[in-house]
Amino acid sequence: MSTDTGQKRVAIMVGAGYIPGINAVVAGASLAAGKLGWELLGILDGFEGLLHPEKYPNGGLIPIDPQKFNIDPNTGSVLGQSSRIDPFNVRTINELGMVEEVDMSDELLTRLKAENIDAVISIVGGRGLSILYQLHKKGLNAVCVPRSIENDIASTSVAFGFNTALTFTIEMLDRARLAAKAAQKIAVVEVLGEEAGWIALQAGIAVAADAVLIPEIPVDLQHVVTHLKNKMSGKKSWGLVVVAQGAKIINPGKTEEKVSTLKASLSPLATSDSNSEFVIHKSGQVAQAVAEGLQLRIAEETFPMVIGPWVRGGTPSAVDRQLGVAYGAGAIQALEAGRNGVMVAFVPPDVKFVPLAEAINKVRTIPTGSMFFQVADSLGIYVGNKEA
Amino acid sequence: MTDKPKNILDITGTVLNIQRYCSHDGPGTRTTVFVKGCSLRCKWCGNPESIRMKPEVSYDPNKCDGKKCSICLKAPFPEGGFYFVEGDDSKVKVNWTLAAGINQEIVSLCPTGALEMFGKTMTVGEVMDEVEKDTSIYRNTGGGMTISGGEVMLQPDFAAALLQEAHNRGINTAIETASNAPWSFLEKVLPHVDTMLHDIKLMNSERHKKWTGVSNERILANLKKAYETFPDTDFIARTPLIPGVNADDEHMLGVLEFIKPHKNVIDYELLPYHRFGLGKYDSLGVIYELDDYKTPSDEVVKRFQTMIDKAFGRELTTE
Ligand code: SF4
Repeated sequence: MSTDTGQKRVAIMVGAGYIPGINAVVAGASLAAGKLGWELLGILDGFEGLLHPEKYPNGGLIPIDPQKFNIDPNTGSVLGQSSRIDPFNVRTINELGMVEEVDMSDELLTRLKAENIDAVISIVGGRGLSILYQLHKKGLNAVCVPRSIENDIASTSVAFGFNTALTFTIEMLDRARLAAKAAQKIAVVEVLGEEAGWIALQAGIAVAADAVLIPEIPVDLQHVVTHLKNKMSGKKSWGLVVVAQGAKIINPGKTEEKVSTLKASLSPLATSDSNSEFVIHKSGQVAQAVAEGLQLRIAEETFPMVIGPWVRGGTPSAVDRQLGVAYGAGAIQALEAGRNGVMVAFVPPDVKFVPLAEAINKVRTIPTGSMFFQVADSLGIYVGNKEA
Repeated sequence: MTDKPKNILDITGTVLNIQRYCSHDGPGTRTTVFVKGCSLRCKWCGNPESIRMKPEVSYDPNKCDGKKCSICLKAPFPEGGFYFVEGDDSKVKVNWTLAAGINQEIVSLCPTGALEMFGKTMTVGEVMDEVEKDTSIYRNTGGGMTISGGEVMLQPDFAAALLQEAHNRGINTAIETASNAPWSFLEKVLPHVDTMLHDIKLMNSERHKKWTGVSNERILANLKKAYETFPDTDFIARTPLIPGVNADDEHMLGVLEFIKPHKNVIDYELLPYHRFGLGKYDSLGVIYELDDYKTPSDEVVKRFQTMIDKAFGRELTTE
């Protein structure tokens, strides 16, 4: 509980879906809180540890002692993980044995009060940000640490989790390229990126792919074919096409299925158990469609590959480790500065506190004039937008 | 419903829509009343708009006038509920978390119908006015009224009143149900039902829980009790057939074994799965969980149908 000496009791929780390096954020927050003499507690499994403490032998709310905290990135998340974090729509089985979603936001606030928790640090992105904003409007002192594999959160130049995903994707694309070369085929590799093509474009540049298809630029497959044919007219008879999961393909060919996924807007009405940042089931659809579409128009064989869900595991990259620690410490700094209802943002060279109201409803996509497009162009990578 | 209206015509329920000329919801040509709210959460559900009981907003970007209109960005629409993103996408986007509290009155301000409410409160009388329009068709085809869902057992008083009133007016009645409700609810509704079409989604209880949200013990107990308590009611068992979930011999044999002793179970129907609901998930902002499924092959369906025909002592079905 807050005391006259300004000491606080702060809780930290993580949004749905695991991404590597959560412990770095917790470590940063814990060390910074410890330095101020504040107490930090971890809520287990989203808000579950608070809403249903009876499920946990340790009560669902665990003390995080900076002296004892183990920052080992290989140990998964000390905060556990949840597939749903929306306290406004908690799926329950009611007393009549029927499934329903109930609003438990009041209960959540009451529980926080009962535990004398002054503020909550929430490691969320996407829809989690809106949920946090909604809770903040109801009176929760909240600070957000932005996490996004796609790096699609506006107001911060880089969200926690992106660099690890990018690093892993590059490593996998290197392997895909060798596989394509060995097989003398065209690899069509699907990478994460539902609304923003940062991973696809940056990784595509790093491995000098032949084409990169991203959600920001709808692409006619015929143009990709023309480009590939030009590149493959000499000795090279293999290729590498990187496709973001949300790429918009104008004429995929025979495959009439919708290639973009349904994640355009996430909803509190979601029936999903995995309403985190993406749904694993959908992986592979766009790779399949593009590979089929290309094969119908080109002599070479194509084969689809999907990186998607693989990026969810493993250890955080060096950049994400230090970013995570800095974000965790930044969240405590925000609270120390009397700020809440904010998101910690990294706007080089500064760490800023952006009001949640400004952070929601924006998607950080690749802007038209981005220098990444120029770089891709100079490397001979087709990204769309123009005739090949 | 706390104050029960005296006149059954005044009893109200939440109705999604009323569809005339239906041919797959019981005998003959029928009018199907879809009620809103379901007590399961099947991952393959093709009717996301029927899942939750309360009316909810849906959004069709194809109808949106975008930046030219922008009405939903201002009050009385909820703050942050609707927004535009930078770039050339001229359609409004919905923040489903912040737009959740919206009501019919506000939604009706959208000039193009891009925003729409699913579900409205109707009285038995109002529903019957619609149902009665096709009385002569029911007579000629042996049809009638079917209540489907969602889950009819979520609104037992409304359903019972509606079915009773249909009977009062000489209209044949049917319901489609998953039967996940207290027995007392079924007991209230079933006396007014001529045909009950009921799902058996999975015979394995653990897997039933995984795919639908609840285990199946109560459902199977309800069904057994219903067969025994209402010998004059026709029962038709049904399975939405999904490869990887329930399109296997074990399930088929389990269901046939379960229904075999009951003579009033007159058929077992297979509903081969199709991706009907996808567009609707988009417009409700609901995430579709089962994207990886396949439609069962014709051969599999034919093989299972043969098993059923054999169990019911029928000749092979013609295609
Ligand atoms: S009010 Fe309707 S038509 Fe106008 S911008 Fe909003 S959704 Fe589009």
